[in-house]
Amino acid sequence: MSDPHTQAQPAAALRRLTRVLNVVATATLWVAGIGLVAMTAAIGWQIYGRYWLNDTPHWTERFSTFIMVYYILFAAAVGVRERVHIGLVFLRDRLPRRGRLLVDIATNLLIFGFALALAWYGANTVDMRWNQTIPTLGLRTGMVYLPFPIAGVLMAIFALENILHAALGEEGKRGWN
Amino acid sequence: MELIVLFGTFLVLLLFGVPIAFTLGLSSLACILYMGLPVELLVQRMQAGMSVFALMAIPLFIYAGELMLHGGIADRLVRFAQAALGHKRGGLGLVNVLSSMMFGGISGSAVADVSALGSVLIPKMREQGYDADYAVNVTVTSALIGLVIPPSHNLILFSIAAGGTVSVSSLFLAGVLPGVLMGVSLMVVTWWIARRRGYPVGRFPGWHAVAVAFVVAVPGLLTAVIIVGGVRFGVFTPTEASGIAVIYALLITALVYRSLNWSAFVTATLNAVKTTAMVLLVISAATAFGWLLARLQVPAAMFALLQAISDDRYVVFLLINVILLLLGTFMDMAPLIVITTPIFLPIVVELGMDPVQFGIVLIMNLGLGLITPPVGSVLFVGCAVGKVRIEQTVRTVWPFYLAHLLALLAVTYWPQISLFLPQVVPDRAL
Repeated sequence: MSDPHTQAQPAAALRRLTRVLNVVATATLWVAGIGLVAMTAAIGWQIYGRYWLNDTPHWTERFSTFIMVYYILFAAAVGVRERVHIGLVFLRDRLPRRGRLLVDIATNLLIFGFALALAWYGANTVDMRWNQTIPTLGLRTGMVYLPFPIAGVLMAIFALENILHAALGEEGKRGWN
Repeated sequence: MELIVLFGTFLVLLLFGVPIAFTLGLSSLACILYMGLPVELLVQRMQAGMSVFALMAIPLFIYAGELMLHGGIADRLVRFAQAALGHKRGGLGLVNVLSSMMFGGISGSAVADVSALGSVLIPKMREQGYDADYAVNVTVTSALIGLVIPPSHNLILFSIAAGGTVSVSSLFLAGVLPGVLMGVSLMVVTWWIARRRGYPVGRFPGWHAVAVAFVVAVPGLLTAVIIVGGVRFGVFTPTEASGIAVIYALLITALVYRSLNWSAFVTATLNAVKTTAMVLLVISAATAFGWLLARLQVPAAMFALLQAISDDRYVVFLLINVILLLLGTFMDMAPLIVITTPIFLPIVVELGMDPVQFGIVLIMNLGLGLITPPVGSVLFVGCAVGKVRIEQTVRTVWPFYLAHLLALLAVTYWPQISLFLPQVVPDRAL
């Protein structure tokens, strides 16, 4: 640990990883943002249809609840990286630096495990429901659960990145407060 | 035993600092594993907790609030409040409270209120010689008003948690007078402390200036009227109203005020996405947690317990308020609405309280948790914006806190404060 040479290599590798994940996180967040805008548009279309076309579209409700789950889970995964999820930190904040880093590692390990559980059992659910279809949208019911495995994997990667940063002694900044 | 696993894991993880969404999810996961249920149930419950059409109002109202914030509506509300009240003793404190009441009609988020109004008003108050603790205390305590003044996405969440049986338009109307009551009682405290501390008196800008500032602020002020009126008179559903709020916010900030450019639009959108993802992930995990509580028959046990303690409604209402206040200090608002509504609503209804009234009591009560450590997101943001330490503000917050508690008790024991408006305004909601 004291030799600067051995420490520089993992730090440089982590910086490269972080640069890649910056792009992944930004892209995920933009996809989520487009989802929010699409949801607004669908609701707007629903009202427009009812009052100006005298024909309430039936797909808008299903469609917007469908994309809502995608965009929430995607943005929640980025939230792990940006540490926007609120928690009770007054005990952690009282610890010395080393303790705080250890708590960060443990917390992110737990998030990592939970994310993998969501991914694994989410994938199972997708599989179980793949052969059913949503009538109003003509999509497979399994697609409703698809964001769980995708976002689960993203969340696990971001949690792992947090762990690596903490292991190298970099304290993450909280996205809130 | 299942309950020990559920609550035990929950408490340990919570104290350990694991984010609340993951604390709820992991403790539900542990309990599901312990009970030998298939884990796919967790995924299904979480999915069911998120994919509710009515829930969509939460992201959209938050989005509308962000757009109005980045589109400069908050500044215009503050300018109007300042023209109207800025010259009184402790004027900026009163301006702060009045701005919160008006901003509450745009955004139902107390955190957004603190970051929007606090970042404008706290530095201004410091400049004019107000103490930092006072500036932050006025800002964070008045931010709670927006929780009950419509549109309030927390009331929508309550309606969903109550099984969709409580009318959103009635809840919206029911929040108006309690919101005004909170505002007035906070203004009294604000003015009283300002007098004791000898804060400055300003100069009245004249009625003309007040009128001009008012006209400029009207488009923002109309938001609440359009939403509540539109829902109540059956023009659109509450969920559609949230979509209308976003479109309205875009129209007035981009076309009327011309203050929303592309980069402000992107910032507002991405902020809204992050905030709502955080809120809805918690709601989703809380749905799984609440489902386990129901399966383990906790609501029935709580019912029996409270009945054993007392059958006097006033005592039970007080007990429920105390329990909620305690829970609120440790947990955020949204998960508590999802988890405690199915537990307490049947009890209070049995004792003769209207579900609409309980909704307002619940939100006012849990709101106090947002300004109380150890978990108090509104207090944290307020202290960060005001650059003061939490300990410093907590020492002098009690008069404001007391005003809130009195308002809460009044709304708990005097149904007319909340129920008057929903009773007199005709209901043609879709």
